[in-house]
Amino acid sequence: MSDNLARVSLPIDSEPFDSPAPAHRGFRLVAPAPSRRARPRIFYALTAVAGVSAIVVAQLLLSVGISQGAYEISSLQSSQSQLARTAASVSEDLARVSSPQSLAANAEGLGMISNSNPVYLRLSDGAVLGAPASASGAQSGAASLVPNALLTGSTLLTQQTNDVAATAGALAISSAAVVPPGLAAPTTR
Amino acid sequence: MNVRTSSARNSSARGNPTNSRSSRRRTVFTIFVLFAVISVFLVRLVDIQVVQADSLTADSVGNRSVGQTVYGSRGEILDANGVVLAGTVMRYNITMSPVNATPFDRTVDGENVEVSVADAAAEIGAATGQSGDAILSTISTALEANAKSNFAYIAQQVDVDVLRAVQALRIPWTYSENSPSRVYPNGAVAGNLLGFLSGEGVPQAGLESGQDACLASVNGSETYEKGADGVRIPGSSVTNTVAVDGGDVITTIDSDLQWFVQQTLATRAQETGAAWATAVVQDAETGKLLAVADYPSVDPNNVGGTEPEDRGSRAFTQSFEPGSTLKALTAASVLDAGVATLETGVVAPYRYLPANGANINDSHSHPDERMTLTGVLIDSSNTGMSKFGELLTDQQRYDYLSAFGLGEPTETGFPREDSGILHPADEWDNQTSYATMFGQGLTTTALQVASVYQTIANDGVRMPVQLVEGCRLPDGTMTNVPTATGTQVLSEQAANETSDILEMVYQKSWVSSVWNIPGYRVAAKTGTAQMPDGEGGYSNGYLVSVSGFAPADDPQYVVSVSIADPVKLNTSGAPAPVFQEIMSQVLKKYRTVPSGATAPDLPSTW
Repeated sequence: MSDNLARVSLPIDSEPFDSPAPAHRGFRLVAPAPSRRARPRIFYALTAVAGVSAIVVAQLLLSVGISQGAYEISSLQSSQSQLARTAASVSEDLARVSSPQSLAANAEGLGMISNSNPVYLRLSDGAVLGAPASASGAQSGAASLVPNALLTGSTLLTQQTNDVAATAGALAISSAAVVPPGLAAPTTR
Repeated sequence: MNVRTSSARNSSARGNPTNSRSSRRRTVFTIFVLFAVISVFLVRLVDIQVVQADSLTADSVGNRSVGQTVYGSRGEILDANGVVLAGTVMRYNITMSPVNATPFDRTVDGENVEVSVADAAAEIGAATGQSGDAILSTISTALEANAKSNFAYIAQQVDVDVLRAVQALRIPWTYSENSPSRVYPNGAVAGNLLGFLSGEGVPQAGLESGQDACLASVNGSETYEKGADGVRIPGSSVTNTVAVDGGDVITTIDSDLQWFVQQTLATRAQETGAAWATAVVQDAETGKLLAVADYPSVDPNNVGGTEPEDRGSRAFTQSFEPGSTLKALTAASVLDAGVATLETGVVAPYRYLPANGANINDSHSHPDERMTLTGVLIDSSNTGMSKFGELLTDQQRYDYLSAFGLGEPTETGFPREDSGILHPADEWDNQTSYATMFGQGLTTTALQVASVYQTIANDGVRMPVQLVEGCRLPDGTMTNVPTATGTQVLSEQAANETSDILEMVYQKSWVSSVWNIPGYRVAAKTGTAQMPDGEGGYSNGYLVSVSGFAPADDPQYVVSVSIADPVKLNTSGAPAPVFQEIMSQVLKKYRTVPSGATAPDLPSTW
């Protein structure tokens, strides 16, 4: 080579690039201390897992408690609607038994007679206004001419209390009005 | 100086192909797998949304939410005291799913027993009152029509006891639905006024129809989700529209009095063999109707048990020639116009032939009698009435008749109410001109007659006839309250004088012993009118009536009884006992104390 570049020839026994570093440089391999660092990691991991599972379990218990309450609400609502149905059914029965046909038939079955002759007793001076006359019983004994189809098949109270089998079909009034003999006069004050 | 990384760099610098290629391969492989999975999803998505969309939509119908009607309840009709005359109750329809009607297992005494469809049908039938075979045939009919039929009725409109019996059987393919129904707890009481509903719930007559705008409810709707076996998922209800309940109609009727009046009227009408009969009880001071009874009358719980022509209220819809009861109106008109007084006298022959060619005669032959206005009404003399009535012109008498409310329907607004026939005065022929003086040649309804007597009883002030107090909305406010202003038709003096005349009639009439109410001052008038035969003439039947009010010195109640064609007793002796019983009951019920004053004594002759 004929040029004017300066060359420095390396000695043969110079170190290659990939030889280990000489000790005087101060580098040394330090092995990691796994035991000292690994325990905290596992501890933290276990803590984290335990915490998460505790939260999950707590949420599970809460949702179980809420669902339990929802089941209770549902069953109470259904029993409320059942009771409302019973109440409605009983009110219907009451309205039917309160009808004039039922009342009149039961009254006549007990021996009462309607009286259309009003007489008034004035308490201040004992005066009697009107013309007193005994009840003529004009209304008794007639089967109701104002029918009520809801009462078919129902029984009179007198028949019920006497434990006699109810007459099937229409509400019937016994032809002979039974008045118990010897009714004691009510004591008045 | 990076010593440790030099090996890596060296290996890459030297191009260690295994490491870099493998990592690149892994990357490529991963991306490839990812794209493959995504494309599978994409294909599936396109398949479902685009290709199979229609068929899947069709399949899903019925698996989605189910809509259900929430029923509003129809308003009730109440009497003046709050007694329910017409109420809404809940009934239930038992339904089933025919396609799911299969044998199922039931635990009996700890053992699993299989229940067949026939056994289940027999159990259901025992609860609903049907035979098991009928239910099985319902199932098979439904499946024949549609092999996937999911709905059929087993029984409709059953009450709570039957529903609970069926539910206790716990058959998985039976369900129930609500079905509101109308019930009339008092039966035929006020049945003529209430009307009834058809099977589909359409109001047919009476207040149910006339007040339907108040009573009608609006149904709401809600949706819920159900499972594949049709079971409703609890908690999945969503209300779409709220149901609106109907308002209550409060009438002026007293249900106990209505029952009594209907009973009394029916008894007498059957005794006398009448074709039909009506009775009206009206409050004299307010014009409110306390009872309006018809015979025959319908029980709205059992509409089929009455003939179709008897299912309404003839008190409102049947007009008739009122006859002699209208003589009170003519007498009041004469007194009010001042053309006659209580002392004015006329000579009443048996037959009167006035100048215009009419021919009037009395009901029984008698010599000429000298009568005052009182005497004319006591004897109910047509000729005497004609001589007093002709003191007014036709137009004057027509004006009085209109002012009393004849020729116009009453203010109640009842459906199909008859207005009665009152021809204008210039259309009256010679006979009609006289006939209208004693209640023939014109027609009225029972309510119009009662209203005439109410006017006389109330010092000449006619109050509007009122059947409905108003419509009470669910929140408690009252709407549709009718106006209650009266009109002065007569002077107070004329009304009081007419009332005195009617008291004399009550005392001296030939039925005075029959309609006597001891201790009270009562004013009343009988009437016997010929009934038209439908061909322009009169038949042999009579319409007999009694109208009056009590107590006469301070009138409170008007009672008007009309009996049509009582073949067994063709006189006003037929309604007189009915008047006595009804008026006695009214006075007793409302605790009207007799004043103890004596009745006036007016001269009937001169």
